Amino acid sequence: MKGTHLGEFQEIVLLTIMVLDDNAYGVSIKREIKTRADRNISRGALHTALSRMEEKGLIKSWQGEANKLRGGMPKRYYEVTNKGVNALKEAKDVRDQLWNEVPRLRLQHNYG
Amino acid sequence: MKPRNNISPPKYYEQFFEWFCRPEYFEELQGDLEERYERNCIELGQKKASGIYKREVLKMFRPSVIKKINTQYRLNNIAMFKNYSLVALRSIARNKLFSAINIIGLSISMMVGLLAISFISELYSYDTFHEKKDRIYRVINTLHEEGEDPAYYASTSPLTGQRLSENYSGYEKVVTIYRGFSADVKRDDQKIPIAGFYASEAFFDVFTFTMLSGDHKRTLTDPYTIVLTRASAEKIFGKTDVVGEIIELNDNIQLTVTGVVENPPRTSHMSFEAIVSFETLKKVQDPKRIMRWSNMWNSHVYVLLPQGTHPEDLQANLEEIATQENSSFGTSSVEMEFQSLNSIFPGKKLYNQLGARMEIKNVNYMIILAVIVLASAAFNYTNLSVARALKRSKEVGIRKVVGARKGQVFLQFILEAIIISTVALVFAYFLFQLIRPEFLSLNRDIQRTTTLELSFIHYIYFFVFSVVIGIISGLLPSAVLSRLKPSTILRGSTQLKVTSGFTLRKLLIGLQFTLSMAFVILVSLAYKQYQFNLNFDLGFETADILNVRVQGNDSELLTNSFSQVPGVSSVSKSSWIPSVGSFWTTRGKYIEGDNSTTVHLLNVDANYLDNLGHQVLAGRSFTEGMTVPQVVVNQKLLKHFEMGEPVDAIGKHIRLEGKDRAIIGVVKDFQHATLDNEIFPFAFLNEPDNYQLINLKIESADNINTMQQIEEKWSELDPSHEFQAFFYKDRIERAYSKLSTSLQTLGLLAIIAVSISILGLLGMAVYTTESRIKELTIRKVLGASVQNLITLLSKNFLLMFVIASGITIPVTIYAFENWIVPNLVHRIDIGFWEIGSGLLAILVLATLTIGSQTLKAVKRNPVEHLRNE
Repeated sequence: MKGTHLGEFQEIVLLTIMVLDDNAYGVSIKREIKTRADRNISRGALHTALSRMEEKGLIKSWQGEANKLRGGMPKRYYEVTNKGVNALKEAKDVRDQLWNEVPRLRLQHNYG
Repeated sequence: MKPRNNISPPKYYEQFFEWFCRPEYFEELQGDLEERYERNCIELGQKKASGIYKREVLKMFRPSVIKKINTQYRLNNIAMFKNYSLVALRSIARNKLFSAINIIGLSISMMVGLLAISFISELYSYDTFHEKKDRIYRVINTLHEEGEDPAYYASTSPLTGQRLSENYSGYEKVVTIYRGFSADVKRDDQKIPIAGFYASEAFFDVFTFTMLSGDHKRTLTDPYTIVLTRASAEKIFGKTDVVGEIIELNDNIQLTVTGVVENPPRTSHMSFEAIVSFETLKKVQDPKRIMRWSNMWNSHVYVLLPQGTHPEDLQANLEEIATQENSSFGTSSVEMEFQSLNSIFPGKKLYNQLGARMEIKNVNYMIILAVIVLASAAFNYTNLSVARALKRSKEVGIRKVVGARKGQVFLQFILEAIIISTVALVFAYFLFQLIRPEFLSLNRDIQRTTTLELSFIHYIYFFVFSVVIGIISGLLPSAVLSRLKPSTILRGSTQLKVTSGFTLRKLLIGLQFTLSMAFVILVSLAYKQYQFNLNFDLGFETADILNVRVQGNDSELLTNSFSQVPGVSSVSKSSWIPSVGSFWTTRGKYIEGDNSTTVHLLNVDANYLDNLGHQVLAGRSFTEGMTVPQVVVNQKLLKHFEMGEPVDAIGKHIRLEGKDRAIIGVVKDFQHATLDNEIFPFAFLNEPDNYQLINLKIESADNINTMQQIEEKWSELDPSHEFQAFFYKDRIERAYSKLSTSLQTLGLLAIIAVSISILGLLGMAVYTTESRIKELTIRKVLGASVQNLITLLSKNFLLMFVIASGITIPVTIYAFENWIVPNLVHRIDIGFWEIGSGLLAILVLATLTIGSQTLKAVKRNPVEHLRNE
């Protein structure tokens, strides 16, 4: 398989960044994942995912403002690049395709 | 709740995070963590927030966050290490003399270090084979007797063991050991002597000795049972599968063998050939007497505590027993405490040890001495390297110019020192193998307890040790060299000031000389004292007296038989011999004077006083076949009881050992104890049946032949025991073996210390003459005499020598009186020559060293040194 290949956690992080739009930085991403997916992730794990995706060029980041609440440390905001959006779409397509191929009977059986 | 300004995340975690986090991520991550922390503080409270923060920090410890170690830098380092080693080897090869001085000095002193390491690691391997070693404790006694210093005993009454197991809970096992089992086993009209101790049934539950056959739960439960070791079973039966066999002892007691154990390991503080059940002892001796509280001399109580119990928790039990039992103990009282198994050997000094003993004090002395000697050799390296820093400074300058950092230069010189010390280790190892037998024969305690055999772990210790020595000795030169600034070095070497350690260097050399002088003086003092002790006029004749152990035979028979030997001029019998460190004391009471004192006793036959050349001042010696209790006393006893002149004392009565005895004779005071003691009131008794020794006065031209004949007589009378005899003089020598051990140790140390400091001085002299050669040559050309030049170079040294001896003399005298011969009553007078000879020897050696170097330098043709400029 060619192209970028998203992991499940990376997919969630990417989507969360897109949902948060302008306000996507460490704390907000973490909080959003907690509220939406009820997953408590450590900041370290999030960092690993973010820095890996940045290396692959799926997201980009820039340094934001510092404030007192953060002990004078600046925020780093994240934004999904086009490549990232494409990767997300690709992943969604693969899934949609697969969902469509699933026999209806099996679906009914499982969900009925 | 409002956010508070003064709250901040846990400090150490924050610092830890900063330490391991990649700097490019730190701001972002730390900011996020802190923001969350502040928020959590408001929502959940500070305590929970801190917890979350800590967990978050720990979870940050992942490869994507942790600082990367620069691999390229590391590769470079390996190449540099190669370069450093190469340069080090070259510089060792180029400066052969200095390398030799360093290596020889270090290897001599490292030999002492190796001895200390192998010796101490061996001592601390004692008793580690017991599976429950951490839970085994021994009850030890402190005896307080009225008017005397407290005495410390490794033994305690068997009553303690009985009461601990019967009246108290909290002990998993209690085992009582009773020393003094020794008997001859009758086997096919042969007598085979075996020795060991009595022990109660829990013995094998507490201690781990491998059982070869027999059920270890039942081995010592019943009376008349015995457990043999492999060695004794083979000695008696020729096989080890002997459970159920019966052995008969010489006193017609029959014991059933219930088990055979492997020989106790050498690293056990208790050794035995056989263990007899404690119940047996209660049958063959009066159990009431054995279980008496005052019978605390032969028995040892060990307890096995349950997991998790501390001996302090149970101390109260001991105190309770002691208080209850002391009430019937008269004026004396006993205090008890627990001593853990691992502090028994080596351990503090206690009387009545069960087996091998090694005082922890000696071990500490050993460590201190090793450290002193090592420090001295490390000084040499430091000294010479700092002095010669000038030669290496250009190298440092170039290295720094092409980009070496301070740390790298430092590392280079440390590495060089480590290489030197590793080379020295190889030599030290050979020296160690040479000195090992000498060390083992130093004293009987060492001989009995250690072998100094090396195992793999020792080689690792040795290597680590040499690296540590390298680092220590290289520390100062490396610091000096790495601090040099390239600009100063390369501008012109003459302006260079590396001699900032000049005063330090003087101090170090001064210290070395103080040490060497101290050791040399101590050796001469100890030697003189030793000779003094051996030749001390004891007040009776010990020359040519051969003492033969009776070993349970009929002493009368032996006496008659020995006196037939041609070379034996007279024969007497005694219970023991005085002046070699043994005592037999009792309370003596003067009937008329109504006062009492401690009296030393010796049981002798009618010939003894005459045979040993005692001078009888009044009255007479014992005669054969006396019926009335009589006693011969010394002058000190008269003085103590105020009996007046020797003649007046005859016929007076004193009460000794339960009998009123008439004084029939008075002998001149003689030194009946070793020289650490005063002369006490002394009394000779005459009670047959209690002679342990036969004293033969040998007057013959052919000693060897006479000895052989005596031995033949012995084997006629007692074929089963080995003939045991010793000359009185030898036993006196043995009584001062501690001093002779000190003497030998000090002698060795003196040789080491002197050679190390002379080596160091040689190095410094060579260096000084080398670096001042031009100055010296010009002085010579201008008319200075050789003598002038030698004075010039050794002036500094002489000053140092004077200061060093000023420190040494009082310290040495103090050390001699307090550590080498403490409590000695008859001490030698320390005169000028005892001190002066040592100082003079060092002075001559040192002057020769400096003088030879200076002479060599100034004898050369001035042209050779001056034509270059």
